[in-house]
Amino acid sequence: MNNYLALLILCSTCFGFAQSDSTVYKKRVLESAEIDLLFSYYGQDGNNAAVTGGEGTEKLTDATSSIVVSIPINPDDVLTVDVGISAYSSASSSNVNPFDGGPGTISPFNASSGASQSDALVHLNPTYSHSSDSRNSVWSCNAYIASEYDYSSIGFGGGYLGLFNEKNTELSISGNVFLDKWNPQYPTELREGFFDSRTIGTGTYSSSFTPFVDINRNSYSLSVGLSQILGKKVQGSIFADAVIQNGLLSTPFQRVYFGDVNDFFIDEFQLADDIERLPDYRLKIPIGARLNYFLSDRFVVRSYYRFYYDDWGITAHTANLEIPIKLSDSFAIYPLYRYYTQSASDYFYEKEGAVSTLDFYTSDYDLSAFDAHQYGMGFRYKDIFTKSKIWMFGLKTIDLRINKYDRSNGLSSFIATLGTTFVAN
Amino acid sequence: MKKFLLLLFLALFATSCVVVKEYDKVYLNDEEMQLTAKGSERFETNFQIYREAAAGANGGKTGGGCGCN
Repeated sequence: MNNYLALLILCSTCFGFAQSDSTVYKKRVLESAEIDLLFSYYGQDGNNAAVTGGEGTEKLTDATSSIVVSIPINPDDVLTVDVGISAYSSASSSNVNPFDGGPGTISPFNASSGASQSDALVHLNPTYSHSSDSRNSVWSCNAYIASEYDYSSIGFGGGYLGLFNEKNTELSISGNVFLDKWNPQYPTELREGFFDSRTIGTGTYSSSFTPFVDINRNSYSLSVGLSQILGKKVQGSIFADAVIQNGLLSTPFQRVYFGDVNDFFIDEFQLADDIERLPDYRLKIPIGARLNYFLSDRFVVRSYYRFYYDDWGITAHTANLEIPIKLSDSFAIYPLYRYYTQSASDYFYEKEGAVSTLDFYTSDYDLSAFDAHQYGMGFRYKDIFTKSKIWMFGLKTIDLRINKYDRSNGLSSFIATLGTTFVAN
Repeated sequence: MKKFLLLLFLALFATSCVVVKEYDKVYLNDEEMQLTAKGSERFETNFQIYREAAAGANGGKTGGGCGCN
């Protein structure tokens, strides 16, 4: 009896120690709240605007700002809220209605002054993550809401990340669903009741246009990733996604001109024969890989490659190379270069290249064959002690990136991005 | 697809070959060595999604949420 009692007392003691493990110090996943402030300015120009059937100005400017706040709820859980607004002004989208009575010749190379020339996109994206006590697994869930004048989006998703092999291997899997909806804005000349006495051409202008009935667009994606430490100075990862989209995958205001239909003009602006018609289903499979190598205390090599395939006939290759150069403990610069090439979609036709008997057609040069070169430079300031403070937040990093992007079919753009990270004290 | 599966198998096989201890990860834990896109790259990724057909496999948006390609 005494032996049994002693054994019971011993087991209780062990249980007591096990219970006291829960009060043992556990490093927090996120020590304190962080705020990321991001700003960007984007400008582009070209001559193949999709709004005007593949011929017209692509001049566009966009200013975007986002705030990302990460809040530690407890040692294991983090709530991240990402909210942002993007405001753009576009010469090509102004030509959804080019006949608004503005000054100058009506032409696809001139911007009109209509309401469609500018718009704003707002988004909200909260994410909640939970880490296990061992910090070897992380569960997360997220939601997404976005809205602009002619498009709204609601999304949700979740994911799991597991660390194995003494945290040398990381496996991740996630899924997302987007339930989107168009508020279709068709080219003015295709809307019911359109008549303009300035129209010139052989015969009477009448298009084969019919409005879309289904205005929903749904996207379902599954992503898997595998990261592996390959040595004390090198690690790599592989990502693969499978994305299915269905619904209205065409853009309602992008014009198409047929080669077998008479042409009609107002001034120098050709009236649409139809808008782009694309299949209501699309399968996308991108596969990407990263390889980072710590060359020396001053140089790191970051590389990325992606192969892309979809069932619209497009295959693409992307290659990135970025070389951070540490000038000191606080300052670094990183030159970067990106190469991209894609084949044309089965449904792409240049202006007047499609005929009216086809089921699917587009003159959107974003779906044509082209190469693109992007080159730029980044600057980073880092202060891990956050000596500079604004109110109760210490400045941790400042990132400035400037990039130039040139496409082989004439589109040219640049983007400047400023990012700052603050840590709550 | 076969090549991809082979590559994946080799990567998984490699997991049994290399184990770097936590105290040896000083270089791997460097901020520049992280295997994710930087936060400041997101706007570049966004315009690439709009101007190019390909998207995804970079930790960002893979489709949906915008009236883009």
